[in-house]
Amino acid sequence: MKPQSSCVRIQKEWDIVGARHVARDMAKELGFGIVDQARIATAVSELARNIYLYAKSGQIIFEKIDTMESKGLSIIAIDSGPGIADIGQVMQDGYSTSGGLGAGLPGVKRLMDEFVIQSEMGKGTKITTKKLVR
Amino acid sequence: MELNIDIVEERNKSVVRLSGEIDVYTAPQLKEKLLPLTKMTGNEVEVDMEFVSYMDSTGLGVFISALKSSNENSSKLKMINLSDRVYRVFNITGLHEIMDLERINKVER
Amino acid sequence: MGEVINSSIEGYKDLLKSFIETQDERSLYGVEMMSKSFLKNNILPEEIVDMHIQALEELYPELSQEVKHSMNFLLEAMISYGIKQQEIQSLKEKQFAIQSEISVAAKMQNTLLKTEIPQAKGIDIGAISVPAHQLNGDYYHFVKGKDDTIGLAIADVIGKGIPAALSMSMIKYAIDSYPEESMKPNVILENLNRVVERNVDPNMFITMIYAQYSPRDNKLRFSSAGHEPGFYYNAKENKFTELKTKGLALGVLGNVQYQEYMLEMKPGDMVIFLTDGVTETKDQGRFIETQEVLDPIKKYKDLSAQEMVEHVFKYFEQLQDFKRRDDFTLIILKKEV
Repeated sequence: MKPQSSCVRIQKEWDIVGARHVARDMAKELGFGIVDQARIATAVSELARNIYLYAKSGQIIFEKIDTMESKGLSIIAIDSGPGIADIGQVMQDGYSTSGGLGAGLPGVKRLMDEFVIQSEMGKGTKITTKKLVR
Repeated sequence: MELNIDIVEERNKSVVRLSGEIDVYTAPQLKEKLLPLTKMTGNEVEVDMEFVSYMDSTGLGVFISALKSSNENSSKLKMINLSDRVYRVFNITGLHEIMDLERINKVER
Repeated sequence: MGEVINSSIEGYKDLLKSFIETQDERSLYGVEMMSKSFLKNNILPEEIVDMHIQALEELYPELSQEVKHSMNFLLEAMISYGIKQQEIQSLKEKQFAIQSEISVAAKMQNTLLKTEIPQAKGIDIGAISVPAHQLNGDYYHFVKGKDDTIGLAIADVIGKGIPAALSMSMIKYAIDSYPEESMKPNVILENLNRVVERNVDPNMFITMIYAQYSPRDNKLRFSSAGHEPGFYYNAKENKFTELKTKGLALGVLGNVQYQEYMLEMKPGDMVIFLTDGVTETKDQGRFIETQEVLDPIKKYKDLSAQEMVEHVFKYFEQLQDFKRRDDFTLIILKKEV
């Protein structure tokens, strides 16, 4: 029996690779196609990189969704970093590119099916995303 | 956020049926269709707003220009079937006193 | 551009080799980083495919003709994407230019419309105004008279963006030119109406409440030009009531008379003025009811007036999932106990 959930701590840049690895393995097991596997890995890469760059440390929690109605992967990124002052702003297209971040959070939102962000200044950020097998 | 504008032209009368939301994005569309109708002298323009679920103040701006234009061109402008929410916007801005409005259920406040 | 490709080809080749041999995640992360740097340097997709072909040929000189042809085929398929990417890039630059012009306008608007919340004995005042986009179509303004009377205007210009911002400064300078102490709120609105009617585009109008608080008799006198109704909080009865007013929005007709209303503020009483950006908050697609506007106000009513307006703003921002659709302005006057 393969694990139904998994948690990766993000502290070093190397941990980003570890998170991608877990994401891709779980996506493969769930039956995602090769393109979706790559999309999920890229989304996780982005989330992990944000933690590494801005919060210094945090974790990414993976959970398989396997019910009668739906099948997919839930990914939650949590950190206790400085938080995001203006969520509306970081979710705007083009905001991250000026800082050289690449896809940024709007990119993650596009790569995944569901995306919820919560953040509090001085307390940290929690991003919950999901992707379902079609 | 979409607005459908359906115009039926009769003799000396235009019936404009609106459905959807009138806001900053859809107001220019409405203005483009509504204003020429009020410029025809003697024309009676009836705007049916039964299926307008939302109107913000930009929408009001369109009706004010339509009113001004109908006064200048001796046409008539009337808005009918206003829901409570839409009527409220006309009411707050004081426009209910200078415009011909008919609410969907004519209960006087 | 070519330099980035040339300096990347060795790195790309190494990553590719390692991936082909071991299918490791590390190489995939490496290529993700590399592709970000390509994007930053405007490298087009067909150039990446070309680089891939070169790397492949160097690593595997014995590669079959079929694979080579197929790679060239892929390169052709990328050309249209490359063109589109260049187009997007140029649109982005144009958009950036417009954005920075607007932000200059927004800065200017802030400077032109700057107003300070007056300090006055016995009354605590809080005010907040946050635009949905860069330029604010809402506006508030305070005037303190020689006899300690406080005049305040709260306004919403219909028709947003640059035209609204421009007409706003006209209003401010008109108000500033009035001899505050001698003019009643309804007379001020009557005058402003003429200014707006004559000078503003016929599609644009302004809703406004003008209020004066006199510390001498603790009375608030106000008039409304079609503005969103405010609220009065009676501390003794612990009750909120809507301030029902009559009056046409500014700029619709030439000669308009306004009514003056008056209320007495007793210790602990509050008056709340706002714009429709507050009342037309949407909670999960549904417009909130009038009573729900008061929920956060009740919740924070024991804080100072400034803390109150800030907390109420945060409350609504959260409720709307950080997607502000309209400008948001809220003013609270609290009679000190």
